[in-house]
Amino acid sequence: MDAERTYSELAQRARTALASVNASPGVAKPDPILLAENVRRNFGGVTAVDVQHLEVQRGSITALIGPNGAGKTTLFNLLTGFDTPDTGEWMFDSKNLKKVVAHKTASLGMVRTFQLTKSLTKLSVIENMKLGATHQMGEKWWNGLLPFRYRKQEAIIERRADELLKRFKLDHMRDQYAGTLSGGQRKLLEMARALMTNPRLVMLDEPMAGVNPALKQSLNEHIRGLRDDGMTVLFVEHDMDMVHDISDWVVVMAEGRIIAEGTPEQISSNPAVIEAYLGTHQGKSLLEEENA
Amino acid sequence: MDIIKIIENTIAAFFGIDAAYFALAAIGLNIQFGYTGLLNFGQSAFMACGAYGLGMTSQYFGVGMWWGILIGLALVVILGLLVGIPTLRLRADYLAIVTIATAEIVRLVVRSVRFKQYFGGSDGINSFSTSFRSLSPFDPGAQYGIRPFQYSGYSLWTMIIGWSLVVIFSFLVYMLMKSPWGRVVKAIREDEDAVRSLGKNVYSYKMQSLIIGGVVGMFSGMIFALDRGSVQPDNYSRDVTFYVLTALVLGGVAKVRGSVIGPMMFWGLYVFSDNFLRELTKDKPFNLFGIGIIQKAQVGPVNYMLIGLGLMLLMTFRPQGVFGSKEEMALDGR
Amino acid sequence: MQAEFGDEVTDTNNSKSRVFAVGRAFAVLLAAMFMFSAPGNAQAADSDNSIIVSVQNQANNNGVSEKKPVVGVKISVTNLAGVAVGEGVTDSVGSVTIPVPAKDDYVVTLDVASLPSGVTLIEGTKTVVNIVKDAFTTNAKRVTFFAGTSGESGASLMDRIAQRLVDGVRLGLIIAICSVGLSLIFGTTGLTNFAHGEMVTFGGLIAFWFNVLLGIPLLIAAPIVIALGGVLGLAMNGVIFAKLRKRGIGLISQLVVSVGLSIMLRNMYLYQFGGRTRPLDDYSLQVAKHLGPVSITMRDLSTTIISFIVLMGVAAYLQRSRTGKAIRAVSDNPSLASSTGIDTQKIIRIVWFAGGALAAMGGVFRGLDEQVGFEMGSGLIFLMFAGITLGGLGSAYGALVGGFLVGLLVELASLVVPAELKNAPALLILIIVLVVRPQGILGRKQRVG
Ligand SMILES: Nc1ncnc2c1ncn2[C@@H]1O[C@H](COP(=O)(O)OP(=O)(O)OP(=O)(O)O)[C@@H](O)[C@H]1O
Ligand SMILES: [Mg+2]
Repeated sequence: MDAERTYSELAQRARTALASVNASPGVAKPDPILLAENVRRNFGGVTAVDVQHLEVQRGSITALIGPNGAGKTTLFNLLTGFDTPDTGEWMFDSKNLKKVVAHKTASLGMVRTFQLTKSLTKLSVIENMKLGATHQMGEKWWNGLLPFRYRKQEAIIERRADELLKRFKLDHMRDQYAGTLSGGQRKLLEMARALMTNPRLVMLDEPMAGVNPALKQSLNEHIRGLRDDGMTVLFVEHDMDMVHDISDWVVVMAEGRIIAEGTPEQISSNPAVIEAYLGTHQGKSLLEEENA
Repeated sequence: MDIIKIIENTIAAFFGIDAAYFALAAIGLNIQFGYTGLLNFGQSAFMACGAYGLGMTSQYFGVGMWWGILIGLALVVILGLLVGIPTLRLRADYLAIVTIATAEIVRLVVRSVRFKQYFGGSDGINSFSTSFRSLSPFDPGAQYGIRPFQYSGYSLWTMIIGWSLVVIFSFLVYMLMKSPWGRVVKAIREDEDAVRSLGKNVYSYKMQSLIIGGVVGMFSGMIFALDRGSVQPDNYSRDVTFYVLTALVLGGVAKVRGSVIGPMMFWGLYVFSDNFLRELTKDKPFNLFGIGIIQKAQVGPVNYMLIGLGLMLLMTFRPQGVFGSKEEMALDGR
Repeated sequence: MQAEFGDEVTDTNNSKSRVFAVGRAFAVLLAAMFMFSAPGNAQAADSDNSIIVSVQNQANNNGVSEKKPVVGVKISVTNLAGVAVGEGVTDSVGSVTIPVPAKDDYVVTLDVASLPSGVTLIEGTKTVVNIVKDAFTTNAKRVTFFAGTSGESGASLMDRIAQRLVDGVRLGLIIAICSVGLSLIFGTTGLTNFAHGEMVTFGGLIAFWFNVLLGIPLLIAAPIVIALGGVLGLAMNGVIFAKLRKRGIGLISQLVVSVGLSIMLRNMYLYQFGGRTRPLDDYSLQVAKHLGPVSITMRDLSTTIISFIVLMGVAAYLQRSRTGKAIRAVSDNPSLASSTGIDTQKIIRIVWFAGGALAAMGGVFRGLDEQVGFEMGSGLIFLMFAGITLGGLGSAYGALVGGFLVGLLVELASLVVPAELKNAPALLILIIVLVVRPQGILGRKQRVG
């Protein structure tokens, strides 16, 4: 399968770079777009996230996997400013994001989707899409009163939105309320809407949950397409087939820590990962077992 | 029972100055509550900003009415920041709690003996409307129109200004809500995290919405004060906000039409109920099916009871009001 | 937000029969309210329109600004043309009701010569007050003249602080009692109940009904009142809010419904009870005991002690008993609790009952402390909100701690703030808490994403 696939120059460069990276947790990458150091978050007694070191290679598709409750969503929340960690620093494109609020991270080019879809049900599908565009003149209230000041830009945005909708096979729902979409369609809409922000890093929290297999295939293509366009994709997924299919690199979390990293092939044969998923460690921490 | 009089009064109330100032307050509240989902329970305080801005400038600073509007605007911004900064990052109910508390404190401050030299205490401020009156093209003493639409020259003047403001602000809000700005605030009403994840400064939009709504509320307070020719602290009690809210829900939230016709219907119904009950109890207390006796003096509370009941029933059975769409309401995550 | 309480949202298809059921329920509640309070009808408003003038001596006695009625002061009312409309002399509570023909502009004049010797009006108080037509928000317009010098009569600062502390403890305990229910209801159902103040008023007014109108001693009446308060809580939940939850109506809408309920109940009280405030019969005349620098009446001392015991009891109940633990579990995480086999609906009913009963108890105490009136609870709700926000919305102990602190701080602040603005510092507390630590002292942050 892999043999037939062609990669854009950027994507190929990322894949080659990753090929020479050592498959160990917290390993450094040649050209990281995202870098987290010692990020920890406690909820009461539970340590939801405790990431010593994590780098995400620019231009790659990186999968973040791990059993339920591993802390994947929490890590997303922390990195995007939706939650504040107890300790730690993290950088996006060598800009420290520690003090950066959620909406700023998005305008810096780092956009995320949510595990529980947040379609704005009372806006139409196309309005949802147009909302995603950044730097809109008409989003200043005084311009809002003067339609001629935003009409032109609005038309451009609308064209872009329509193109994306077509790509995601939502164009027939264009003028329906987003509330009338099915669960899978909402996932698609949310992803498409995130792309409207022109991100450099897309963080997708379980984008495929509830999407039918046929559509999954084409979604996979979209995600690869994003990479080929030069975007970096970090996504959370439970479906290992899909992870195998599209990711260049896989990061495995369990109990808040990163327990393994590597190419999909390396990960699928990693005993720590299998244990984390099957839960055979019987109360012992995975890391301790690995060290032993 | 004088049915003709009741009907006349009811019809007049639909178009009366009370409906106009309520409509302005409701248009403001609609921006905040209807479109953005902000529970501003202190609209009466924003109205007071307008009324006192106007009253104080001409009373104490001896400058013209236009300055009153500027000072009112400044007060609105200060008030908006005061209640907004601590609450707009938090869940919706905090804003409700803080605004209702602030409105109450504002009322206590302006009616206090301590600050009487500025706000006039519980007597309020009177006789500041001369410059507004002098702009009137009508003869203040004469009666214009035919019953039930008969007004003195001064009332006619305030009514024309009041309803003109209603039309202007309705149009502006309509434009605003059709614009990308409106799209953002409507999205915030539904799910602010989603909006934040798309790079919008949710906090700032909420603040803008709160203050813009407050400014419209300020004009409501001004019209009210100009009509009565006085500013009374007790006219800005928290219940005023709730009555405006009831009127808005009656018309239909997040609809420009709703925010105008709702208040008209509210006043029509209120005046009808009030007149009807007064006629009913004019000569002897009215016995309500053996469960209660309404005396003449109790008509007021009964009216307000009905408003409270009406708000509950509307919210439960017809949250979309007269003009909202059932379909939109029925979508997920109301 | 809704999803958190999603276990109750069984069916959002509002079938017709359900609509009728809720409608009927509303009607039943309404009728019940009317009937329940019907005997009070005799006490209804005194006349059509009236001006109620009250003269109060606010002299600061050792730092206590007790309102004492000034008896026998001559008050006259004229219309704008100077024609006499009515006159009267203040009675034993310092109040006189002067009927007027209509809501109109009037001039109220206090005859300074008729003030008792040694009593003067507070500096800056006018003896002539103009009333304009619009000032009649109800049928009765109230005018108050304050007498007495506002200077502190030689009490040292420490003594005044001590006195304020004692008063603050009393107010704080009452607020804590009233707001436990408010916080627990929020914790278990997510509802911010704006009608909670009316539950407090209910306690005060029913106590008045038993004690003054039926002549039942307060010690016997109070337990009945408290039980009835619980029943009111149950009724509010059963007839209104449980139904709303079942229909899947959002929390914001529920909040607005509670606002409507508050308006309705408050005006029902006004309808039954009239606009005046009145004292309860028992324990209304008390002599203050002086204990060192502070003075307190036996009544106030007893209510303070009882309040304290009750609050300790509530805390112990929440801490130890099975039900108490279940309540805290549901407050913490409703959906989790229900999945562990706790009957959330039952817990919610218990919380409403307990909340209503405690609020009614607070109402009785408040009625003893001040007087009873149709707005006594709605005047407190804002202090209760400040209290539960300070303590942490939804946290049971938070309400106790926060309510207590707010009462204490409000009283202490009145050392520097004029009495009429006594509640303003609570707003300040509220704002500071929200800026500095929005989850309150004992609350926890919410999950996003
Ligand atoms: N706000 C919160 N309060 C308390 N605990 C939390 C909170 N948010 C997350 N947790 C806990 O942190 C841990 C990690 O949760 P998280 O949602 O990040 O898992 P996840 O890896 O995304 O799981 P899944 O694959 O099921 O989505 C869980 O044990 C969860 O209960
Ligand atoms: Mg997750």
